[in-house]
Amino acid sequence: MIIALLTLPLSLLGMQQTGGGGIAARLAGRVSPEVAALVEELGTAASARGLPVDPLIQKAIEGSAKGVPSARVTAAVRLVVMQLDTAAVALREGGVVTDTLVIAAGEFAITAGLSGHDITALARTGASAQALTVGLRVAGTLSAMGVPPAENIELISTKLRSGQPASDLLLLPARVQAEVARGVTPAQAAAGLERAAAAQSRRGPPPGHGTPPPHPPAPPHP
Amino acid sequence: MSKHEFHPLVKQLLDGDITLADLPPELRAEGDEALRLLAAVDRSPVQLSAVSEHVMQAIAQRPVGSVWRRVMQPRELRLRIRPWLLAPALAIAAALIVFLRTAPTAAPASLVTVRFVLVAPEAHEVSLAGTFNQWDAHATPLIRSGPTGVWTATLTLPAGQHQYAFVVDGVRWVPDPGAPAVDDGFGRRNSVLTL
Repeated sequence: MIIALLTLPLSLLGMQQTGGGGIAARLAGRVSPEVAALVEELGTAASARGLPVDPLIQKAIEGSAKGVPSARVTAAVRLVVMQLDTAAVALREGGVVTDTLVIAAGEFAITAGLSGHDITALARTGASAQALTVGLRVAGTLSAMGVPPAENIELISTKLRSGQPASDLLLLPARVQAEVARGVTPAQAAAGLERAAAAQSRRGPPPGHGTPPPHPPAPPHP
Repeated sequence: MSKHEFHPLVKQLLDGDITLADLPPELRAEGDEALRLLAAVDRSPVQLSAVSEHVMQAIAQRPVGSVWRRVMQPRELRLRIRPWLLAPALAIAAALIVFLRTAPTAAPASLVTVRFVLVAPEAHEVSLAGTFNQWDAHATPLIRSGPTGVWTATLTLPAGQHQYAFVVDGVRWVPDPGAPAVDDGFGRRNSVLTL
């Protein structure tokens, strides 16, 4: 009995993560019943595939808050599911053991204009899931700023391989913005930052940042 | 030990596959000898009682060892329902629920303070809606500062990636002109904030 009671929390957590009850509760009163039913169905199936459900819920709430017709909201939610699937496949192809955070970050990068191949290329840098999550978010942000995929992936890959802290990655959008303000294109700004990052990587990590971890050789960018 | 090797036909004879009569004449003597040797073998059961006892004693004296061995050791289980155990068991279960639910968030996510600014001189009210407030168009109003039409709000957000838009006069969804933006899937743009 004690064992059964002790395993109860795990069972409840499992139900909470995969079951539709949590989805319905979050959508209650925020979206139409038909949208809620579809998101619950899609979310349960997505969760069974190891995908995060939060992006689906957010998209449904966002659409309803913006007064978008239900049909369009459900189409947008379906698109999010497709992008999550694409991101998960791309990450697995890159050898990453996926978690929901990194998949959601990949989905954002796809929304921002990057492809599954770009995500796979970043995954192959050998960065940790946490660093890769930040890298994908920043790559998506740079893409939204107009940085083309080639320069974008080159820059983020170099940064990820350098083993520098994630906070350094987070500064990239502001640096690109500053360069663009000086009159260069987003592509030129990203390329310049990549050269600087590569040079710093050759010199070694800055004081106090330790030795960068070993990484596999860089695959050619598709 | 003899290195003598019998002819294959003789081996078949020993296996009982053929009889002595089936052997060619030149092999019959060898067959005879082989059968004689086989008949001389002592077929009485081998008694290794001393060895068996020694092995069993060694097993009996062997320490239980690892916890795994104790767990895996077959044993009789008797379940008795003891009501006085129910309360502490439930308490432990509840504590585990609380712990497991809070454990992933135990490491405090780093927070970043962000100032949102929109210049909208004609607006009567401006608010901020995004992934951080469940896209609630009324949850985060901006404050108009002075007569220039600059609306601002300062928020402390968890590190991560956020999407948002300004809501002008409760109906118009406007992306932040100072931030990168992505397609929102509904024909508009969401601003992006990566912290």
